[in-house]
Amino acid sequence: MEVDRADGRTPNQRRPVVCTRGVLHRAHGSASWAQGDTKVIAAVYGPKAGTKKNENPEKACIEVIWKPKTGQSGKPEREYEMVLKKTLQSICLLNVHPNTTTTIVIQVVNDDGALLPCAINAACSALVDAGIPLKHLAVAICCCMVESGHVILDPSKLEEQNMKAFVYLVFPNSIISVLPDGSKRPGGEAMEHGIITSVTHGVMAVDDYFSCVKLGRAAAAELSDFVRNSLKLKAGNDPSKVG
Amino acid sequence: MEQRLANTLIMTVNEKKFIENALVSDIRVDGRRPFDYRNLTIRFGSEDGSSEVQLGKTQVLAFVTGQLVQPYRDRPNEGSFAIYTEFSPMADPSFEPGRPGDSAIELGRIVDRGLRESRAVDTESLCVIAGKVVWSIRIDLHIIDNGGNLVDAANIAALAALSTFRRPECTVGGEDGQELTIHPPDVREPLPLILHHFPVAVTFGFIGKENIVKAGGDGVLQSVIMQCLRIASVKAGDITSKIKNAVESYNTQRSLRKIKRHNPSSAVSNVAKHHTVREPNSQSVDTNALRASQPSCATPVDKLNEESTQVNPETKSTQQSSDMNSSASTHEVTDIGSPEKQSNTLKDAVKPKHKRRKKSTSNVNAN
Repeated sequence: MEVDRADGRTPNQRRPVVCTRGVLHRAHGSASWAQGDTKVIAAVYGPKAGTKKNENPEKACIEVIWKPKTGQSGKPEREYEMVLKKTLQSICLLNVHPNTTTTIVIQVVNDDGALLPCAINAACSALVDAGIPLKHLAVAICCCMVESGHVILDPSKLEEQNMKAFVYLVFPNSIISVLPDGSKRPGGEAMEHGIITSVTHGVMAVDDYFSCVKLGRAAAAELSDFVRNSLKLKAGNDPSKVG
Repeated sequence: MEQRLANTLIMTVNEKKFIENALVSDIRVDGRRPFDYRNLTIRFGSEDGSSEVQLGKTQVLAFVTGQLVQPYRDRPNEGSFAIYTEFSPMADPSFEPGRPGDSAIELGRIVDRGLRESRAVDTESLCVIAGKVVWSIRIDLHIIDNGGNLVDAANIAALAALSTFRRPECTVGGEDGQELTIHPPDVREPLPLILHHFPVAVTFGFIGKENIVKAGGDGVLQSVIMQCLRIASVKAGDITSKIKNAVESYNTQRSLRKIKRHNPSSAVSNVAKHHTVREPNSQSVDTNALRASQPSCATPVDKLNEESTQVNPETKSTQQSSDMNSSASTHEVTDIGSPEKQSNTLKDAVKPKHKRRKKSTSNVNAN
């Protein structure tokens, strides 16, 4: 049974993605990421000298500032900042620049569903634009459960409000390596099957959660190819970013 | 302390001397003449009342939202508006997050006074029920890239956003005239704000003998001020026409979008299903032209060019997923455009047909 979506997408279809790097001039790295109508701009400054008081000076510190579209920053913004910080900490190589702070500023331009995954993707592209050393990229996707028990991908705002539950999933991007099984871990499982972050809202059964993860992983694999290609294109073209 | 010093821009003596010497021969650092403006691009977001202005390297976002509130006691017939300025840390490393600093407050006050004291926004039209319910308009300005002259860019962004903002239509009804119904945008067309005129800010910098001085710091001769006023009025007319052109093109795009939603649905009820597939494609060509004609920004923009792959998802296996990547080429945009329009057309097509069939079958059964 097919689920009828308002904008005519199939349940497994993401919205069209537009990724632009180098949007801002003052920032060391910047990116704008749009999934359908949801648009987020991310800017990176860093590494700057010194860490904050409670942070470990032997590692680099990641600071996230989330700016909502309208209104004051409140508790939901703090939660987003925390999730983003933990996610980005796990993909950055923190030992390369100890005792430094890298600041990531997120500005919400429009919110039409799946805001946090959009922000994570934007932040990741901005980090690449700034040249911050990363272990791998993070690819974020949103899956949700409809009342009838189906799983759909990349909901819009209206769909999100009518959902039983939804989950934001962040996966590492797929690794292209020279060795045939270079990407496999000792257990035999591929690296890109790990989950970096999972944020759930609402109630869903365990089996439903795992089917969301399966769907999300497949979508993330395609999205990671897109991200890799888009980041490759820019590297050779812009002489101002070289050196 | 050291971190704060590292964030601020320290200018060397050589740089200062260079700027002053160049100005003697009427050349500015980026090659402009003394009274030239940088390239101005005004773009609008997908929602009403959101604008993005780029003035050279300076970028400002403006969002306008409205809320129904109780009016002030001494002005029961008027709505209100308020401006909130955010110097985002992404604009400049020296901007601290948290409470706005002096320059942020000053910028907010300049934009606010320009709109309020000149009565550019018509507040009486914002009244719904006198003394009880009025519209309160909130303008959020986000400075996202500091390339200088934030006041002018922020002002233009606020004006552009105000010009494209639409508020839902409210009707007062009921027995005692106190019942308020707010009509959703798809039922009744939302109304634009009434702007009497555009107050445009033009900033002048005075470079003195030793230091670079902000306008108003040192004493300035009256004749110089008169000259500035004359130049400013010319520039203001220029900027106003640019804003109006941008707003007009946005409004035509908006009305075209609405027309496209309605036209296929009205034509479909008489046309067989296989014809509906063609119509959205032929109309979507116009949207491509419109999207391509949107003002391009001066900075190099990197958009992905990739073939869109469509994998038909099997109903049982959840591992296959189809994705669509948007790109500058027209082929992909048509693919994105058609499913959206098809959903409207097919839904509108299906319902009346089923009703007709059911009626005919019931008639047959009755007979």
